[in-house]
Amino acid sequence: MDSKYNIKEIKRQYVLLIWSAIFVVYGFVFYYLPLGGWIMAFQNYKPKTGLLHSKFIGLDKFKFLFEDDTFIRVVRNTLAMGVLNLVTSFVMAIVFAILLNEVRNKFFKKPIQTISYLPHFLSMIIVTGILHDALSANGIVNEILVNLNFIARPIDFFAHKEFFWPIVAFTNLWKETGWNAIIYLAAISAIDPTLYEAASIDGAGRWQKIKHITLPGIKATIIILLLMNVGNVLNAGFEIQYLLGNGLVKGVADTIDIYVLKWGVSQSDFSLGTAAGMFKSVVSITLIVIANVIARRTSEERLY
Amino acid sequence: MKKIIALLTVVSLTASMLMGCAKSAENKGGSTDATETETEATGEIKEFTAFFAVPGSEINDDNEIQQMIAEKTGVKVKETWLAGQTADEAVGTIIAGGEYPDFINGGDGMQALYDAGALVAWDEYIEKYPNIKEFYSDADWEEFRQEDGHIYWMNPFDQVYGESKTTTHSGEAFWIQVRVLEWAKYPKIESLDEYFDLLRDYAAANPTMADGTENIPYTILCDDWRYFCLENPPLFLAGNPNDGSVIVNPETLKVEDYNTTDVAKRYFEKLNIEYKAGLVDPTSFTQTYDEYIAKLSTGRVLGMVDQWWNFAYTVNDVFKQQGLDNQGCNYVPLGITIDKGMENQWYTPGAQLNPSSGIAVTTSCEDPDAAFKFINDVLSQEIHDLRFWGVEGVDYAVDEDGMYYRTEDMRMTVADTSYKASHLSTYSYFPLWYGTSRDGKNAMQPAEQPVEFLDSLNDNVVKCFEAYGVTTYPDMIGSVDKAGVWYPMWSYSNTLTTDTPGGVAWTKMGEIKHEWLPQVVMADDFDKKWSEYMDVYSTAKPEDFLAEMQTELDRRISK
Repeated sequence: MDSKYNIKEIKRQYVLLIWSAIFVVYGFVFYYLPLGGWIMAFQNYKPKTGLLHSKFIGLDKFKFLFEDDTFIRVVRNTLAMGVLNLVTSFVMAIVFAILLNEVRNKFFKKPIQTISYLPHFLSMIIVTGILHDALSANGIVNEILVNLNFIARPIDFFAHKEFFWPIVAFTNLWKETGWNAIIYLAAISAIDPTLYEAASIDGAGRWQKIKHITLPGIKATIIILLLMNVGNVLNAGFEIQYLLGNGLVKGVADTIDIYVLKWGVSQSDFSLGTAAGMFKSVVSITLIVIANVIARRTSEERLY
Repeated sequence: MKKIIALLTVVSLTASMLMGCAKSAENKGGSTDATETETEATGEIKEFTAFFAVPGSEINDDNEIQQMIAEKTGVKVKETWLAGQTADEAVGTIIAGGEYPDFINGGDGMQALYDAGALVAWDEYIEKYPNIKEFYSDADWEEFRQEDGHIYWMNPFDQVYGESKTTTHSGEAFWIQVRVLEWAKYPKIESLDEYFDLLRDYAAANPTMADGTENIPYTILCDDWRYFCLENPPLFLAGNPNDGSVIVNPETLKVEDYNTTDVAKRYFEKLNIEYKAGLVDPTSFTQTYDEYIAKLSTGRVLGMVDQWWNFAYTVNDVFKQQGLDNQGCNYVPLGITIDKGMENQWYTPGAQLNPSSGIAVTTSCEDPDAAFKFINDVLSQEIHDLRFWGVEGVDYAVDEDGMYYRTEDMRMTVADTSYKASHLSTYSYFPLWYGTSRDGKNAMQPAEQPVEFLDSLNDNVVKCFEAYGVTTYPDMIGSVDKAGVWYPMWSYSNTLTTDTPGGVAWTKMGEIKHEWLPQVVMADDFDKKWSEYMDVYSTAKPEDFLAEMQTELDRRISK
């Protein structure tokens, strides 16, 4: 009988309700209302005839997508790069946060942290420009390798398919590790320091403290962030692949977004682009649901 | 105290948010705002926006000649250009956004703009404005008529007033530096083998430039849509003109695919041999367009295949500024074929009508009449001279016979990039004339003024011309003129979209060629790679594409 939804309670919390109402409206208008545009994927959409009058073609666009070898390959590329990015950036961010936490000297800790997340603010164009130059046949990486006699002739890194995915992962890492580590650093600093003292008394070394206190302490953060990023695995990116790709590595470089650009926007075939986008959303939601179920079964943390 | 600070923070945050909103509203309105700052004694000057789906450099907002034109015509146009995208992507994005600039030239994307209902019909304005009407003959205007019976754009180029004065070869060729020809004492180069032999001999004898940097005998550009440098020479080497996407057999009047011919296989095999011999630049396949132009500008590249407009504007000016033209780095075109003794058609003279793209006025323009009046005005002789010759006395002078000319100082100044941005305003993608000026004597374009052309050529190029007995670039190539009524076929293939099976095939073919041609050139076992490539190529169903082109060819012939 003690219902939370009675009038007295509402009156008491009316400020909070008003605040939430603003965000609910915002969320509805900008995230749920545009979903109506998904009808484009089932039409032969032309801007002239608009959403309501374009010809209905059912699942034709989806059929085209799944019968197209290029699309299958592109999905493979996106998944591969997405998973690679996810795993590497995750591990690196945690490792970096823990290592930074272990730095005793306050004088170095702050500047290092600040410098580490500066690349986040650079645009991809600058980063890929630098990278393209550094990895070219007469760039600095090849110069070092040749001078140290590791290789006889310079390697053109962008001409070989094997190198592309690692290069993408590296670019992402270099740009985002510092930024991603911020949350983990915050979580680490929230751990009760008396735990560390108790561990020292029990004779724990540095590594054991990390293994038994720090890592379990941020377990909740790790799981929540992992769940959130699993849904993003198909957003492996557009910028890096578009800027660094070329004809030779096309087979491994093109992502779903680039496919949509080439076959959707460039051809004014908005239906195809919407269909591909829908596919991405459906897969992402499925992945999050699965991940959440696993998380719920194995630990106390879950997204919802 | 805290309350005051809190209040101030809220106010400043809100203000900054609203500032953001106001700015975007201003950009949306676009055209006729901001006239107060531009008002001169002559009254209000209308401002229009224009977007061109080709790369170009923006001029300064206070550009002097643009201001002069604005005072005379009452209109100023802010031009923006393509940057880092393809024309299709840019136009697709603009259509998706729904906000158009006042003028637009969407390149290959004009059909998409028409389908989106974004363009204003021209018919009444053609009748109203004489300069626009005289730009094309009535028959030519009919070419621009779309399915609904109206005309929506006009191509700004390739129209010759009066007598033609063409001196430049503005199309594709195998280019070579004059110093290479000079070193070999100006031999007659007619075949692909001779071309590469010459490059090899010169590179062996002169591995570096005067300052010690290495020469690059041959480089290829295959960045995105500019990969014609790699993929379409087989078309020309067989002696055909630039139909762009297919070969038209003039006897059978059938469309043929140049990607699978014997000539194609021989050409790529030759490239493969030269790549393994180290003549072909190994970074060809990963370089971006900017890197390619930078490479050319250093003067180290001895030869390449390219379209003139793709490199000439930037590279020639740099050569002049850096004095590299005095080292003989200027490029001249060679009309080579796969074997000796064949006719070539690299150069096709005469106006080529390309009805598939052009400049258009969009439905976002608030005053279409003023827009068309502006197009009319920039075609008048006075404004046309301001656009291309510049200001009399400053950018060119007039001699006793009334002929325009430039001194060497003037030529150096107009080649300077910052001078171009601050002083010269050519409105280069608005309609313009080639040929002879209405005064009957001068050329419409300075580059075509005969005396000016010869005077502005570097001595090394003049020596080269004299050695071969020619006076213009097209003469160097020595093409025959046999283009059929259907020429050029690329004006149709550029409009293909994935709506038709032919368009899907065309896009797929492009993707496959992008991926496989570099591999074929770099292959260790050429024959194996070539047959793999041919297998993959056939999965793109090129028959669909060729069938559609054949339909178009038949339509053009029967007209």
